Amino acid sequence: MVQASGVWTGGLYLRQPVGGEGIASVIVNHLKLLVGGVQLRDGVVTVSDILGRIFTRAGFHVLAMERGYASTIYGAHQYDPIVVAEEPPVSWGDPEIDILVALDYDSNPDAQEQPNRDTILRHSKYLKDGGLLVYDSSTGDIHTEALERRGIKIFPIPARNIARDELKRDVVKNVVTVGALFRLLEFDRDATHLRALLEERFLRKGREIVDLNLRAAQRGLEVVESVLKAKSWTNVGYRLEPRPTKEPMLLLSGNDALSMGAIRAGCRYYAGYPITPASAILEFMEEHLPKFGGRAMQGQNERESIRAAIGAAITGVRSMVGTSGPGLSLKVEEFGVSGVSEVPMVIVDTQRAGPSTGMPTKSEQGDLFLVAYGGHGEIPRIVLAPATQEECYTLMIDAHNLADKYQCPVFFLTDLNLSEGRKVVPQSFFEQQAVTIDRSTLVREGDLRRDGTYKRFVFTPSGISPRLVPGTVGGVIKVTGSEHDERGFVSTDPATRKAMMEKRARKMETYLKEDAKPPQVFGKPEGKPVLVGWGSTRPLLLDAQQRLRARGTETAVVHFTHLWPFHTAAAKPLLEKASAVISVEQNFSGQFADLVQTYCLIPVCRIVKYNGLPIYASDVVGGTEQILRNGTQHVRVGVEAPAPVKVSEGD
Amino acid sequence: MAEVKPQKVSPKVWDENAVARHRIQWCPGCGDFGVLAALKMALTKLEITPYELLMVGGIGCSGQIRNYLNGNAFHGTHGGALAYALGAKMANPELKVITLAGDGDTFAIGVENFVHVCRRDPEVLLVIMDNGVYGLTKGQNSPTHGRGMDIKEWSEESPPPFNPLRLALTAGATFVAQSFSGDPKHAAEIYAEALQHKGFAMVNDFSPCVTYNKFNTYDWYRAHVEEIPAGHDPSDANAAWDLLNDFDRRGRLPLGVIYRNPRQRTAHSRLPMWPEELQDADVRPLLQMFR
Repeated sequence: MVQASGVWTGGLYLRQPVGGEGIASVIVNHLKLLVGGVQLRDGVVTVSDILGRIFTRAGFHVLAMERGYASTIYGAHQYDPIVVAEEPPVSWGDPEIDILVALDYDSNPDAQEQPNRDTILRHSKYLKDGGLLVYDSSTGDIHTEALERRGIKIFPIPARNIARDELKRDVVKNVVTVGALFRLLEFDRDATHLRALLEERFLRKGREIVDLNLRAAQRGLEVVESVLKAKSWTNVGYRLEPRPTKEPMLLLSGNDALSMGAIRAGCRYYAGYPITPASAILEFMEEHLPKFGGRAMQGQNERESIRAAIGAAITGVRSMVGTSGPGLSLKVEEFGVSGVSEVPMVIVDTQRAGPSTGMPTKSEQGDLFLVAYGGHGEIPRIVLAPATQEECYTLMIDAHNLADKYQCPVFFLTDLNLSEGRKVVPQSFFEQQAVTIDRSTLVREGDLRRDGTYKRFVFTPSGISPRLVPGTVGGVIKVTGSEHDERGFVSTDPATRKAMMEKRARKMETYLKEDAKPPQVFGKPEGKPVLVGWGSTRPLLLDAQQRLRARGTETAVVHFTHLWPFHTAAAKPLLEKASAVISVEQNFSGQFADLVQTYCLIPVCRIVKYNGLPIYASDVVGGTEQILRNGTQHVRVGVEAPAPVKVSEGD
Repeated sequence: MAEVKPQKVSPKVWDENAVARHRIQWCPGCGDFGVLAALKMALTKLEITPYELLMVGGIGCSGQIRNYLNGNAFHGTHGGALAYALGAKMANPELKVITLAGDGDTFAIGVENFVHVCRRDPEVLLVIMDNGVYGLTKGQNSPTHGRGMDIKEWSEESPPPFNPLRLALTAGATFVAQSFSGDPKHAAEIYAEALQHKGFAMVNDFSPCVTYNKFNTYDWYRAHVEEIPAGHDPSDANAAWDLLNDFDRRGRLPLGVIYRNPRQRTAHSRLPMWPEELQDADVRPLLQMFR
């Protein structure tokens, strides 16, 4: 779609010559930037945060789902890819980038012989031909002939020198870069958005700080102008015209959304222990839960956290813990406590690459078996996995209601990219949710018959026993993780044991009948290859589905958020009609594929990725075609050796 | 809730909602009987009702005490009792929360909780039934094993006995006391005092294992315990250390309150939990930070 210049309606345009009409622009809808540099030193997060917030305010959709940071504080390479789009992007797409922003101004300890080339060396492979490279040239210009031959336009910006020597404040170097970028995007020429953001942040420190930053942005703009002039480039870059927004839009992470969801759901006790990528939940709860009358505690270890949370839950308070793989391994003992003593517990697992310490800052979906099977003995448990930031909110509300109703652990599986990745969501989404707080399984003082006949673990057809909490006048409860009778006294009587195991197991039958949500189906599975996924990969599967369709392969997508107990009755009829069932997962073995195979008795092919990078749509397209054409059963993507990168003639 | 006291508590109330006396599964003569008797006396004296009571039992013989008297009870993992108690008390300060566990549960597998609960200082009473052995698993050494023995040399496999009182003081406990289940009346007085403490109260109770600890017997304890002198000022931390040093030097075991010093604390109310308290929570103000 082509529009002549001068009729902007807001949007994202690539400037390029069209026919003989002079300068015109093509609507591209979609733009991917990657900001890279040395962690903590170069301000990668500062720049990506400024860009993300300002683009959001300007009416664009921002998706920053991939997190490229290291498990060190300082010194390692860090990068933040940001997708900017007019309409909500289907997924985070592919590794290809349109604009590469390299903030490194000096050597990275990893690449000492190549000052300020580190980000470029790592990411220019994915920079599209004809794309833009902005880099900090404070320590000298880089030879980029190889990139120039690919039509890439290079913008050396001595951001740090400008900040240090001209403006006398090192920290404003990030804003110099922002100013340069905004010029290349023909965005915010009058600095309306930037000024507003700077004033919010710095006005209380003084007007001069705001002005200094605005001067820094102006200097970045000027450097770009001079490059354009020197090279006589007229049709370079993009035009990002702010779009009218009907309503306020928010840029938030999965951790933000699920924390708010928990507060909205009535969670009033949270305990956590610092662990990437769940720490943000703890920090959110410590800051905000007290405003709602709740308490949040940093445990002295993972076990104190979950035990204290169980203690709070015994008293009737909705209670939650959050952690990641290594912390979850330490909490496993308490899964059984919650399951047998029938104390509700919501357990968030923001999965990261394991095993052991694994790769703490890389995403994975490797904990499914741990939450579905972890622990000795057998307990009822529910496993939920939201796909998006929106579902982090809504499904969390369900999680607390389900924990209450079924009085068992409810696992909430996210992963690093969903937990820390950010996305634009309309504010109204949160305001319009009708929320019911269902605590009907709790016994109130007035409901209690004062004849001493109350039994905490009474046998019922549904398996659900009404729950009394300590402090209720007229009744007491005896609760234990040991096997017990209906009153909660320890028992090893065979008949009691059998009946009590069955009572607890019955709760999951009730759950499957009354509350388990069937998988979401996109397309018609009959006779077609079906892409199966769970958790955060849904957007990616839908993206891959569109691309496969464009390449002549029609598929269906079947996506699960309610993973355990496995909903065979809903899943099997869908999947047995498929021509092939392909599970796409970010783990090594295809854990969910094993579940599907076990419960549906259908052979399941797998596309798996476990190198720490997100699964890209192109991975799924390639993997699916390999399976369909070659009959491959298990496709491992992202495992090929990295291609050599050529930046200059010498490389 | 706590203010609703239906009637003055009679000692008999403690036998309801409990395992019948003849079904108690402790060896005849077990020190834990003394703790049970002392606990009932203290609870009766303070007119605490079973409804407002939450007992958290450890794993082992001692933790079974929770089912031998009336009142709410919870029993989870080995070493976890204090952490459950902490969470419960934080969530509902109106409950009287008592943790009942052995020296193995508290000072071996659960020492991580003990140390930090001393610092956190919740209004929780901990009674440790200290017998020097893991009785339920047939008599393996527990952290206080070897108390009073003339051990010339120790090894990694057989370390010297652990001193609960010194750890409690070091970790910042605000109430540190010791009792002997061979003298339940005295123990009851200490429990009652501990239950009124506005903070974490630790009472180490010598509770002989008549089956597996043939060294630290009732007679051995009677020969070695000594009531803390009336002149001792429990609010003085230095005096507490001096007292421990003095008793250790003389090979004696102090009975009574060694240290008592409540911290300043912020009063909390019960956390909101009923739908009517939660339904209208407005998260909209939180949304502003994402703009």
